Amino acid sequence: MAFSPEELERYSRHIILKEVGVKGQKKLCAAKVLIVGAGGLGAPAALYLAAAGVGTIGIVDADEVDLSNLQRQIIHGTSDLGRPKVESAADTMRDINPHVTVKTYQEFLDSANIMDIIADYDFVIDGVDNFPTKFLINDACVMAGKPFVHAGIIRFKGQLMTYVPGQGPCYRCVFHDMPPKDAVPTCKQAGIIGAIAGIIGCLEALEAIKYICGIGELLCGRLLTFDALKGDFHTIKLPPRDPNCAVCGDHPTITELIDYEQPECADAQHGSAL
Amino acid sequence: MNITVGGGKRSVEAGTTVAQLIEGEKVENAAYVTVAVNDAFVDHADFGSTALFEGDTVEFLYFMGGGR
Amino acid sequence: MAKKEYEVADTVDITDQVCPMTFVVAKAALAELEIGQVLRVYLADGEPMLNVPRSFRDDGQQVLALTPAGDGTYDLDVKKLEEE
Repeated sequence: MAFSPEELERYSRHIILKEVGVKGQKKLCAAKVLIVGAGGLGAPAALYLAAAGVGTIGIVDADEVDLSNLQRQIIHGTSDLGRPKVESAADTMRDINPHVTVKTYQEFLDSANIMDIIADYDFVIDGVDNFPTKFLINDACVMAGKPFVHAGIIRFKGQLMTYVPGQGPCYRCVFHDMPPKDAVPTCKQAGIIGAIAGIIGCLEALEAIKYICGIGELLCGRLLTFDALKGDFHTIKLPPRDPNCAVCGDHPTITELIDYEQPECADAQHGSAL
Repeated sequence: MNITVGGGKRSVEAGTTVAQLIEGEKVENAAYVTVAVNDAFVDHADFGSTALFEGDTVEFLYFMGGGR
Repeated sequence: MAKKEYEVADTVDITDQVCPMTFVVAKAALAELEIGQVLRVYLADGEPMLNVPRSFRDDGQQVLALTPAGDGTYDLDVKKLEEE
């Protein structure tokens, strides 16, 4: 189906690109991307995927917008305080691009619901701040054969890697298992510069766009790290898929999804976004 | 001997082990760092016994979740 | 030598468009054709005449002809070789 004059103008900066063009924009408009977390990483990813015209964007977050979020979760505004994050995010996305269908999931992701939720999508974006859900997303995507991008941010650093079935290591190949409670800062004491969340979240959106359009090189088998204080990107080449990996290896020992215990933090909320 | 750590050049004593390098680099949260030498992961149990050689490339990979 | 004739599968008028929509609208029209088909683009003199044929070539398409239409506009015949 041909684009309307409004769509041609809206997406003109994509269409001009030889690598995207009309065919790439049609792929974007037909694509379905799930963003887990409407926080620091999910917010910029959602904004750019909506702007790019990704046809269906799912957004998962059980939380409501609070004041401390606004320093980095730029899809939400002061007038959204107290609102469910998914509704706030959906409103902004629809305003940016009314052609996009936004599906909201105001719930916690766990072993009981994740497979059903991700089934509808072509690509998953990890925008969560806790390891139980990061491992859950990895395991579910491996089991379901879904590509996804993992990312993390802390203080002045960020990183991301992409998993495409059959094309390199999964998150567990690299990080094996959950760190113990309190081993790695996840709560308020860590801190983060908002713009770093923006950079890494945008890179996640870019991985989704590249995957959908079939262009460029994805971060499969690579961990892209960013040091904001040094102003330096450093790419770590990852070893190939681990044949002994517990979930994607030749003889998986993890065959069911795991709901790990949550990290300890006085007012941590389960499954909440960065 | 000269090695590369996290993309940067380092000069270390011959025979330096991964464990010694971690200490020398003041790696944060060393108990939970993942180490790759020449694109292959080194098991935590082998940090003390894995010696580095001239020209080796070492990478430190960290758990990164997020902050609220 | 006899000039080889070809059939024009479709036309698009971009004489009322401004950059970059000139190329975008033309490209979108070519996208609707099959590989091997020819699109005739009506374009204005100046920037469109200078840029649109080159942009099609950069995209890997074949410019067959660029001829003055007699009213200050040009007819650009482009053969689709690659998907847009």
